[in-house]
Amino acid sequence: MRKQAGYVLAATLAIGLIATASIGAAQAQDKTIKIGGLLPMSGPGAYFGAQDKQGVELALEQLNKSGVNGYKFAVQYEDSACSPLPASQAAKRLIDQYKPDIIIGEECSDATLAIMPIIEQAKVPLLNAGSSALKITDPGNPWTFRIMPNEVMQGVDIATQAYNKLNARTAVLLNETTNAGIGNAKVFKDTFEKLGGKVVAEIGFGRDINDFTSIATRVAGLGKVDVIPTYTLEGQGLKITQALAQAGVVKGGGGPAIQLGTIWLPFGFEQKAGKAATGYVRIVQFDPTDQRDMVKDFVAAFKAKFNADPTHLHAHAYDQIMLIADVVKRGATDAQSIRDTLAATKDFKGVTGSVEFDKTNQNIKMDTIHYMETKPDLSWNALKWN
Amino acid sequence: MRSSGTRQVTATIVAQQAINGIVLGSLYVLVALGLTLIYGVLVQINFAHADFVTLGAFAAYFFMHLFGGSYLASIGVALVVGAVLGWLINVSIFAPLRHKGSELLPLIATIGVSVMMQNAMLSLFGPVPYAFETPYSQQVFRVAGTFFTAQSIIIIAVSIATIALLYAFMKFTFLGKALRAVAQDRETAGLMGINPSYLIMLTIVISSALAGMAGAMLAPVLVLTPFAGTSVIVKAFAIVIIGGFGNVEGTILAGLLVGLIESFTTQYLDPGLIDIVVFGLLLLMLAFRPTGLISERREENV
Repeated sequence: MRKQAGYVLAATLAIGLIATASIGAAQAQDKTIKIGGLLPMSGPGAYFGAQDKQGVELALEQLNKSGVNGYKFAVQYEDSACSPLPASQAAKRLIDQYKPDIIIGEECSDATLAIMPIIEQAKVPLLNAGSSALKITDPGNPWTFRIMPNEVMQGVDIATQAYNKLNARTAVLLNETTNAGIGNAKVFKDTFEKLGGKVVAEIGFGRDINDFTSIATRVAGLGKVDVIPTYTLEGQGLKITQALAQAGVVKGGGGPAIQLGTIWLPFGFEQKAGKAATGYVRIVQFDPTDQRDMVKDFVAAFKAKFNADPTHLHAHAYDQIMLIADVVKRGATDAQSIRDTLAATKDFKGVTGSVEFDKTNQNIKMDTIHYMETKPDLSWNALKWN
Repeated sequence: MRSSGTRQVTATIVAQQAINGIVLGSLYVLVALGLTLIYGVLVQINFAHADFVTLGAFAAYFFMHLFGGSYLASIGVALVVGAVLGWLINVSIFAPLRHKGSELLPLIATIGVSVMMQNAMLSLFGPVPYAFETPYSQQVFRVAGTFFTAQSIIIIAVSIATIALLYAFMKFTFLGKALRAVAQDRETAGLMGINPSYLIMLTIVISSALAGMAGAMLAPVLVLTPFAGTSVIVKAFAIVIIGGFGNVEGTILAGLLVGLIESFTTQYLDPGLIDIVVFGLLLLMLAFRPTGLISERREENV
């Protein structure tokens, strides 16, 4: 009996100790800004999540050395798979279990549009850096912020530059059939036709298409085409570029057409696509050869940590965390105050450019958008159009 | 004059899309053959087949990039890797479950193996798409307005050789005949001195080897990620059904047909409609010709 009583006492003591320790941990956590990361880690957009995470890790490492206003930063990830259903489930799980002060993500517009109402209901701010669908910030959601240019900002500019700088008069649109793919293609078409250009064909396709030879054949059969704006994720983008070159349509395959791309494709795309990418013109929001000190420091730190060149995805994720830290520096402590302070952001300087939100919470500072043309040695030629 | 020119362009496009369809169809046939073989002998659907395809693609990739092997040799490596892993999974998972006597257990196990393999590959190879280049996909031939790559010639040659070898094996070797006997009636075959367990193992090994090889053939076409196989497997299932479950000739015909449907739908309708056309055909087949394109008595399929 006495022995049993001893066990009970020991167990009670142990439980007491654990409880005390966890209260201590909870108190320490009180001074932590909890960031939820809704990122695709499986499926065709999984490369987004993998790269975003590295950008986040680098930012956390730098920030948590000394903290900001006594706060440390922690991130809890959930796999949102670039797709509406898994993204909504992940958002609910994250909000119920982790109770974040702010959420970053998603990359794909379809997924972002699906999680917005859930996050709004929970009154947690969402900071997006990768989705281009206009609907995300139009007419505006008080809890959703976006630091990347939306499809109109990108599309109107690409169409205008194609018409004026490349003297393009005919175009074929290639896009994945998602909110972002359809939306981006439509903006290009509307702008290009208003200027006097002609869209010869609009070809949409699902994410399950692997072989683009048939699509390239169809484009080749359309006669002379000046530009081919393409809106896909990296994997399909590679296959399209190679198929268009094989069919002799684009410059990379000895043809006359120029492929046009958006911010979707990461740095390093050209090396994977090979010489088929020669002549490809695309917008980049992050240029690793940018000579600003901030960018040079970021690139050096990234290389030191991961032994690789950062892409715009790394840079966007890094900026998202740095912007949150900036908001905390300006006095924000919880979801509501983070939202309010974020909305008042005026001149944040990040590695992908400056941030100032308009009344729809869309970043209107687009000072580091560059047009790059792929040279035959697959390096970039800055076109200096903006 | 103008109309004859237009007609010529149309003829070139039709010829080109026919080439595209046959090349793509041959790849589908390679993927679907393994599925149909397992169905024919075991009357079982293997949900992990897609992941053997992906594994084959990665095996070929790493053989070329880590050991500097040639693409043609990598096809053989992928085949062997598929076969070995198929054997391993049969011995460790499928066979013990089959001995428990339930038909459902091995079926569910294939789903488990699929999830396991996908996640293992995700942690080993990461989610960023790999660029699988062969010297043959860069070699473009242009003949009478059409174009095709050396890679597509290899695809068609390997497909024909595989089908021929499979046929010879089934028709002329003792093991092939025994396999057909097990497909017809497992119990009676057992009474005739044939060891069904051994032949089931053989079927799984051949099927996984075919999947692995299909992976190496598909790799230059696929967006190579740990999920690559899943993007073709749904079509492969459709092909197996259209071809008549377990019917090899039907599968070959259905594979080519789906390839052609894909290229001509892209040309004359819209690539977004491919799945509607393919699965519409599947529903029609199920409704009006459930035995598949080539009607045969079920017992004689494999």
